[in-house]
Amino acid sequence: MTHPSVMIRGAVFGTLMAAACAAGAQEVTGQKPATQGGVVPKNVSVTQQQLSGAGGQGANWLHTNGDYFQLRFYPGNQINTGNVKKLRPAFVFQTEVVESMETAPIVVDGIMYLTTSYNHVYAIDAKTGKEFWHFKHKMGPVTTFCCGPNNRGVAISGGKLFMGTLDAKLVALDAKTGKLLWETQIADPEKGYSETMAPTVVDNKVLIGTNGGEYGIRGFVKAFNADDGKLLWTFYTIPEKGHEGVWAVNDATGRNMLRDIAAEKAAFAKDSSFWQTLGGGVWMNPSVDLKNRTVWFVVGNPSPDLYGAERPGDNLYTDSLVAIDLDKGTYKCHYQYIAHDVWDLDAVSPPILIDVKDKSGKMIPGVIHGGKTGHVYVHDRKDCSLIRFSEAMIPQENMWVLPTAQGARMLPGANGGVEWSPMSFDPATRNAIALNLHQPMTYHVEAAKYPGGSKLWLGGAFKVIPGEKQWGRVAAVNVDTGKMVWKHDTEQPLIGGGLATAGGLYFFGEGNGSFNALDSKSGKKLWSFNCGAGANAMPVSYTVDGKQYVAMGCGGNTQLDFKRGNSVFVFSLD
Amino acid sequence: MISRRLAIVAAAVAAFAAGSASAQDVEAGRKKAEACIACHGANGNSPNPAFPILAGQTSRYLYLQLKDFKEGRRTEPQMDPFVKNLSREDMFDLSAFFAAQKPVSNKFKADPAKVAKGKTKADEVLCTMCHLGGFKGQNEIPRVAGQHYDYVVKQMKDFKTGKRTNDAGNMASVSKTLSDQDIDNLAHYVANLD
Repeated sequence: MTHPSVMIRGAVFGTLMAAACAAGAQEVTGQKPATQGGVVPKNVSVTQQQLSGAGGQGANWLHTNGDYFQLRFYPGNQINTGNVKKLRPAFVFQTEVVESMETAPIVVDGIMYLTTSYNHVYAIDAKTGKEFWHFKHKMGPVTTFCCGPNNRGVAISGGKLFMGTLDAKLVALDAKTGKLLWETQIADPEKGYSETMAPTVVDNKVLIGTNGGEYGIRGFVKAFNADDGKLLWTFYTIPEKGHEGVWAVNDATGRNMLRDIAAEKAAFAKDSSFWQTLGGGVWMNPSVDLKNRTVWFVVGNPSPDLYGAERPGDNLYTDSLVAIDLDKGTYKCHYQYIAHDVWDLDAVSPPILIDVKDKSGKMIPGVIHGGKTGHVYVHDRKDCSLIRFSEAMIPQENMWVLPTAQGARMLPGANGGVEWSPMSFDPATRNAIALNLHQPMTYHVEAAKYPGGSKLWLGGAFKVIPGEKQWGRVAAVNVDTGKMVWKHDTEQPLIGGGLATAGGLYFFGEGNGSFNALDSKSGKKLWSFNCGAGANAMPVSYTVDGKQYVAMGCGGNTQLDFKRGNSVFVFSLD
Repeated sequence: MISRRLAIVAAAVAAFAAGSASAQDVEAGRKKAEACIACHGANGNSPNPAFPILAGQTSRYLYLQLKDFKEGRRTEPQMDPFVKNLSREDMFDLSAFFAAQKPVSNKFKADPAKVAKGKTKADEVLCTMCHLGGFKGQNEIPRVAGQHYDYVVKQMKDFKTGKRTNDAGNMASVSKTLSDQDIDNLAHYVANLD
């Protein structure tokens, strides 16, 4: 949300930023769940084998981030560096919701499933854009959410689609008819819980985290039975005991975080009951290591964002990479990037599972995460330990100055670095490619008691500094060296997904509507098309009848207040 | 200074999808509101300046305040006994009812000089970024246009001294910058609005 007269902008994701008293666009609630239109003219069903092997084929796009490892890499090369300049729109699909769009369409056998803000789902022909059905979720009377009424897509398994909703439900739809099969309440929306992430389905378990780190939730990842929505297990991102951690002095990069640990310990001895409102949202899909039956995800900021006196200790497992058991939901290991975060420079972008070089140069199973700090972190999958972190992809300044009442300047601003934007990994170059933003901010602290769950609880404010230039940067980082190999700067901060392909391309969008293809080896821009509204969703690629397509939602973005629209553009070669 | 002013805007986007109150909710609320009349007046137009006018208030604000009273985040000895036994449904209905009522004049005789000073102060501290133009309120931010002078003064002082703390820190932050004279002027200004 921008208020031009005071130059305040946007919400911080996993995070919210200053601003935004202005009433958001709201949709009338209380309508019946409705499915309009006909049926998909074929049977749609996706097996576990297909889901497990999704990264090795180019026909379908079956997961938000391409496969369980979340590479956001498309293995087809029909569209490539040599011919991308001929890429043209094949069709444009317009939804009825003109609002922030973050969806990653799922494509199965030529059928595309896409979502919009306020939890609409459409089934369309992925070749022509013809609409088959349109589902509108019946929203409950209370929703409480940060950063826009977004939805980042459905998951598919068998003949069912799964979606999390703003009123914190999980719904299952019949993929052929769009009819509601079941719905289940994940958590209480009056306590600040909401869902915008796409679920991940594996072995008939629907995995989903939660938003709410700006409202004093107790975060979690839950698993539900795909057949009936029954809860199978819950992993709380805030443990009842032990959330004080090890009283870490330095962050993951070895910088002192200026904590007054003696004062924190004294406060902790008096009261440690705040774990119930300590935050720790999980905003993006987990990665799944099926061989080791392990689920990997990152956990967002503690609540309240800026006011740390309320919550002494390391605030585990906020701002951490966490691994849990797929079948039982039990803890395996974690690595905390920032203990006792008071800047909301948390962990949001989904982790990617790849093999990496360890410190001795040996290839081992690894996991990487792009941080709001602007570093790519490379970990050992055996125990979560940090192998290396990349050079900073964007300017850092004055880290870790503590927030003050008057405001302390520090870079990066609270949106990052890398926000929720999922990275891509290009196996050919061994580069992780990340969308970064640069927004100079001051950090302000204000004492604030827990306000009950339905009111934004930042304990201060993040403020964009008037007159200071903001911009974006696509950065390619070699995961084995941590060096930035190339960068491509943009006029506006970047938020949304990217897509690397075997055609040597990297697709991403900008808030000004520009959807681009870069040469993934050099970062050179090869192609661009303006969608007319913010290109801030997550691009995907697929093949129907021998022809490769690239799809991108262009509906703008609430958080950075990029121009809203309602279209999904689908491109192919002439 | 500028940063101070900006601090107040750390308010919510929390779009409580402002529950579309149905006619049934309003009618159910009318019955349940009978207990409220003694203090808050017929249809929520309180005749006593110590008790807030509820008519035309945003339903989300009303609901959240009732909930805060019930759960102890806001206390007022005269109010507390009334909320103890309210169900969630009751609170929704009451909120829907009072939000749907038309506010009438509070009959406050404002001092024009104080009104002018209050407006200047309001512009300076950016009240309308949250309370919106005309102080009509939105979502969980209350309407304060035409509210009783006495009630407004008491609330601002309570925020300033930390007696009232269910604002997530936003009013606490801004009220710390206000003198008693500022509060007096601001209350003249908003009480005088339609």
